[in-house]
Amino acid sequence: MFLLRAAIFSTIVFWSYSAFAEVDYGRDIRPILANHCYACHGPDAAQRKADLRLDHRDVAVESAIVPGAAEKSLLIERISSDDPDKIMPPPDASKNKPLRKEQIELLRQWIDAGAPFADHWSFVVPKRPALPQVKEPRWTQQPIDRLVWARHQHERISANAAAGRRTLIRRLSLDLIGLPPSIEEADDFVKDKSDDAYETVIDRLLASTHYGEHRARFWLDAARYADTNGYQYDLEREQWVWRDWVIHAFNSNMPFDQFTMEQLAGDLLPNATDHQRLATAFNRNHPITIEGGVIDEEYRTEYVIDRVVTTSKVWLGLTIGCARCHDHKYDPISQREFYQFFAYFNQVPEQGLRGFNPKLKIASPLQNKQRTAAKASVVQLEKRLERLLNDTGVNFADWEDRARAAAKQTWHSTTPEDVRSLGGATLIRQEDGSILASGKNPATDVYEYEWMPAGRVVAVRIEALTDASFVGGGTGRAPNANFVLSEFEVLSADNKNGPFKKIELSTAVADYSQNGYPVEQAIDGKFGRQGWAVDGNTKRENRSAYFVLKAPVEVSAAVRLKIRVVHEWGGSHQIGRFRISYSDKPTVSLPTRLRQLVSVPTEQRSGTETVQLTMALAKAYGNDKMKALVTDWNSSAALLESVTAVPATMVMSELPKPRKTHVLHRGQYDQPGEEVEADIPQAFPTLPQDTPQNRLALARWITSVKNPLTARVTVNRIWQQIFGIGMVETSGDFGTQGAFPSHPELLDWLAVDFMESGWDVKALLKQIVLSQTYRQSSSVTPEQLARDPTNRWLARGPRLRLDAEAIRDSAIAVSALLQRDVGGPSVFPYHPSGLWQEINNRPGYSRVYKQDTGGKLYRRSLYTFWKRTVPPPSMAAFDAPEREYCVVRRSRTNTPLQAFVLLNDPQYVEAARHLGERMFQHAKTDRERVIYGFQAALARRPQESEIKLFLETLAERRDQYRNNEQQAIDLLSVGESSVAEGNLAERAAWATIGRIFLNLSEFITKG
Amino acid sequence: MRETDLKDALIEEGLRANRRHFFGHSLRGIGAIALTGLLNKASSADERTLASNNGPGFAPGQPGPTHFPAKAKRVIYLCQSGAPSQIDTFDYKPSLDKLDGQELPDSIRQGQRLTGMTSGQKSFPIAKSFVKFRQYGKSGQWISDLLPHHGKIADDICIVKSMYTEAINHDPAITFFQTGHQQPGRPCLGSWISYGLGSESADLPAFVVLLDKNSDKQAQPLYARLWGSAFLPSNHQGVKLRSIGDPVLYLKDPTKASVEDRRRLFDRLAELNQIRQAQVGDPEIQTRIAAYEMAYRMQMSVPDLTDVSSEPESTFDLYGADAKQPGTHAANCLLARRLVERGVRFVQIYHRGWDHHGNLPGRHPLIAKEVDQGSAALIQDLRQRGLLEDTLVVWGGEFGRTAYKQGGGDKYGRDHHPRCFSIWLAGGGIRGGSSYGQTDDWCYNIVDRETHGVHVHDLNATILHLLGFDHRRLSYRFQGLDYRLTGVEEHRPVKEIIA
Repeated sequence: MFLLRAAIFSTIVFWSYSAFAEVDYGRDIRPILANHCYACHGPDAAQRKADLRLDHRDVAVESAIVPGAAEKSLLIERISSDDPDKIMPPPDASKNKPLRKEQIELLRQWIDAGAPFADHWSFVVPKRPALPQVKEPRWTQQPIDRLVWARHQHERISANAAAGRRTLIRRLSLDLIGLPPSIEEADDFVKDKSDDAYETVIDRLLASTHYGEHRARFWLDAARYADTNGYQYDLEREQWVWRDWVIHAFNSNMPFDQFTMEQLAGDLLPNATDHQRLATAFNRNHPITIEGGVIDEEYRTEYVIDRVVTTSKVWLGLTIGCARCHDHKYDPISQREFYQFFAYFNQVPEQGLRGFNPKLKIASPLQNKQRTAAKASVVQLEKRLERLLNDTGVNFADWEDRARAAAKQTWHSTTPEDVRSLGGATLIRQEDGSILASGKNPATDVYEYEWMPAGRVVAVRIEALTDASFVGGGTGRAPNANFVLSEFEVLSADNKNGPFKKIELSTAVADYSQNGYPVEQAIDGKFGRQGWAVDGNTKRENRSAYFVLKAPVEVSAAVRLKIRVVHEWGGSHQIGRFRISYSDKPTVSLPTRLRQLVSVPTEQRSGTETVQLTMALAKAYGNDKMKALVTDWNSSAALLESVTAVPATMVMSELPKPRKTHVLHRGQYDQPGEEVEADIPQAFPTLPQDTPQNRLALARWITSVKNPLTARVTVNRIWQQIFGIGMVETSGDFGTQGAFPSHPELLDWLAVDFMESGWDVKALLKQIVLSQTYRQSSSVTPEQLARDPTNRWLARGPRLRLDAEAIRDSAIAVSALLQRDVGGPSVFPYHPSGLWQEINNRPGYSRVYKQDTGGKLYRRSLYTFWKRTVPPPSMAAFDAPEREYCVVRRSRTNTPLQAFVLLNDPQYVEAARHLGERMFQHAKTDRERVIYGFQAALARRPQESEIKLFLETLAERRDQYRNNEQQAIDLLSVGESSVAEGNLAERAAWATIGRIFLNLSEFITKG
Repeated sequence: MRETDLKDALIEEGLRANRRHFFGHSLRGIGAIALTGLLNKASSADERTLASNNGPGFAPGQPGPTHFPAKAKRVIYLCQSGAPSQIDTFDYKPSLDKLDGQELPDSIRQGQRLTGMTSGQKSFPIAKSFVKFRQYGKSGQWISDLLPHHGKIADDICIVKSMYTEAINHDPAITFFQTGHQQPGRPCLGSWISYGLGSESADLPAFVVLLDKNSDKQAQPLYARLWGSAFLPSNHQGVKLRSIGDPVLYLKDPTKASVEDRRRLFDRLAELNQIRQAQVGDPEIQTRIAAYEMAYRMQMSVPDLTDVSSEPESTFDLYGADAKQPGTHAANCLLARRLVERGVRFVQIYHRGWDHHGNLPGRHPLIAKEVDQGSAALIQDLRQRGLLEDTLVVWGGEFGRTAYKQGGGDKYGRDHHPRCFSIWLAGGGIRGGSSYGQTDDWCYNIVDRETHGVHVHDLNATILHLLGFDHRRLSYRFQGLDYRLTGVEEHRPVKEIIA
């Protein structure tokens, strides 16, 4: 490797790097050598034959090539030999591909011209090329256009005229925000006669909050974002706060180098903020296994490899993953260097099996505004209350004493005469007076506890105590450590043998109750699957509840009390360790929180607790005005809590002591070889080594202006988003096997400009969509098709089928159903029943798809819950990936299954109904209604022939539904939204018109 | 702009025969014309165009769509997910009778990695098969009493007893079996075949997936990647034919409109699309019109396909009463036969629930009973109809199970075992009534693995070979590399099992 590096940076012979050159080494020669020769004469040292390498000029000219003399070159002799023993590549059809005549001729020409080598074009730092002189005024405005025009000239192809305004605004809107324009937006643009009308639209769209959603959409594929863990059981995870971060970053036009830096190494930045740490979730989005049998290190290794593969593909356009098992066959990346790159990502304190940590709870940046508002309201209310308290001269210490006195409640311990489990569990009394259950653990159980009180009994208390013998050291015997106290009964008997009679209980008070399981349910006389529970599966803490007797039991020598602790929830939801005590004084009803707060000594109270105590006291003892303020404060505080309540997101962090990294033989986790240090591949310029070689150093290297790849790869991917194909068609591979750019100078010009602009993504997009190249009509003639079928010369505007998300979003938008909120947790729109369960119905490891209702059915598709093993089916039909791994380019197919989605998926049938309703409501005549439909769905006005066909259809459908009302009802009742009043046949006919619009090729095409 | 999939799906050789059948229908309307146009255009495509349009991996100068004449034209793959125990199904090991209860010696285990399930186990006592074996047919193949119906096809099947794999847990192992790679990201076998051979049918997909209903609560899940096309264009991914809801997702019109009404809707769409094409010249619109025409046809062909009421009673005698219950293995095997009759290239059936880490003697018989009659009936049915000759059927799990017990007592289980297991193949050029390879006395290692072992890649190479492909040359260029199903190392089709 050392040799190679020296060769590249000392003896480069620059050959023109151009789309027009006669013979270009990078474009014409290297691919031949790579495809046909490198397997034995390339970078992979292990496979190299005869010590010959053709990727390296110094070695090649020693034996195989005589520069300037093709006929004297052994290379030419061997590849054009007739002798089967001599010919290269050797004639083994299963392994080698023979050279074609034209390829041999190219090699001949190249050697005759001196056999110039050049470093692979994408490994050389881009320079801003000179712009060609352009004669036509239309093509002089934008640098993009001048470079594209030059290619047109070279190919002798004439460019299309500019597209009409309606076509243009639809294209622009779909490209910048992923949604079609409204009728008003299109009309405004058509009417706007000012010079900067077009630019005004661009600026409006770039400023839209939907802009960030649309850009994030592409990023989610690259980041293999999903809402489940993948692999086998594919249960849920919550990473959506990171998705919010991405939307926010795009919307605030975060410079792409910063966007990169924060996602790769935000945690390592000096004084890293919460949101910088949140950004690193990018490299925790990979699948994580929970399959019981796996070996931890095996999967931990896979996660690190995933990060290497993803990072190198997304930012560098390199297939570094190829070097996992052996030296790269084509690119200058050795297996050793692969593991040096691996070392950067190998420092996360994580596990292979159930490797969900590290995690951090960080609020969504999109909720900043709401949070600030709620916070302000809380503070304001606190100030008002303080003023009120001062003005009224409240003696706070008095209130506190009152509360403290009320909180003083003495509980007397009890010693049981008898304690037993009716379900057969073993109950043993502990030193602290508690009873610990062990042994048999039946599904349901009743504990009976008898004792003779030494005094008057006013209330009885049960404490549920944690114990190490339960799951996670919790309080319950259930597999999740929770319990449900179905019923708590107190009985009394007057003498030793006397029958026990039930005592009525008046109140139940608990220090904590689980949502849906309030303690009152433990004395409601109802048994079964309800009662008092305490979130014991997540909160492993001691809990207690007390129960007040309707009439106190007076003590006498013979009185016996019996407690029945009834557990009927099932699944062993029993309290595992409990203690019974009683009180002989009336209990004072004091809010639980206040009771807890006053028991904390003043000097130990936190600031929050002090505020809470003030509020609780004012609520308990203050006047009506104070009570009202506290009520408002409570709701503001609750709102603040809800906008702050977010799931913990899996993020990156570094081990305090670095983990050693080894070359893994054949890529196997259990076959470590030589130890290596983190470093970047030698073929690339390095950064100064004065910083520790960690992810931050890597991120700095990736975003350095000296990095030849990052800007090119990024610009190219954005170009691909707009034009369907990147200038480099293989947008995930800029290596020597990747495609040569269609417009090398343009790619470099944009890459340099992008870096010099401060990595300004919005500016880049604006520059692209401002160009004449972009604004051309996308119509195509048979001649153009024959000469340039895939529009590589850009002599026409982009025309492509929309991506899955944009198709669904368009349908929801034109039917005016779209719910426009930005950010938040994933949602569950319409979904065919049973899809999840048919591939996984294992209890505890699977779940049923629970469809949302209301607005969540109509949110943008990037919020749709993404299950990797069952990706959203109507999007999968339109080539959406599973998201099990990084994808930077989707395929774009055209299948009958897509027709079924648009025709019959309830989402589309319902949208069609609403689109039909819009048309119907808009105008009085059918003709105007149809015209309105064209404007709403396609942003254009129809031709007469089109209107005629729609009107004919309308007449046919009216007949059909009049004669068959049931069909009308069947059509109109698809979807959750309510059906408009009125004539059913009429409504159904318009719904069908809506369906036709949504199924037109034009509707799902950006043209 | 690329006339992608439909063309791909339709250009293939098999279509030529089918086209006659296809034109037998009365064609009317723009949609039909578009579809016909596409077919005609496709057949004139030259080799280079095919290759660049994701056609099969032609070597220059190689005539025809396959590398050599195919013995099989289509495949039905009966995947036994969870992994059946070879010891209790197809690998008759009387030697274990003597070893029963003995500890597995280290000399046999040879450091084999254990799964997390038994790595804490201190003792590894051998358990002989809990079930009897008997010989069947002229070939006298030994088959266990768990699969009595298989006795009837003993002379049709070749049992490969020397299968081995590289993975020891379900997710990586089944992913490896189906995609040639343990981690997600590679196209599955069915996608490769769809890519290589295209479809013989103009109204059904080339690659269909059928999921048997699952009865075992502990069964291992499946994942979309197992029938996914990864970097191959996504029209090559498997299309699920479901036994609940719409057989193909969103197939049914919610309005239950009449055929005529639907036809009018499709025609109107085609006319409007046609007008647009005249305006903008985009050939993709023509492809879309054709795709809708195919969709229209599928709306008729799929209900016809799944409606088994026209089958004679003898069919149900053969497949068993289960075959009338949609989603059972028998019903899906019957459906598979009906699919291949209609030109589908690759039918993938999954049966789950073989993963018995506990009480294998109690649970294995239940799963075996679910599949036995259907699997065996499929072979007999294909044979009767003359389809077995060029239809390859494969039956097997993702690995085997250990000869030693997991847990103890009578309700023991068997853990995952990658080192040896059995599968069977039939039809499509396979030498029936034979077996290949053998395991050692402990049913733990393969005897002469170097020469007689069948690696997963070898099996896939064999399947491709029978279909006319050199597995080393059926490749797809992605990210600068020519990817293939069977990886980069040396593997070979097992010619010894080919008739």
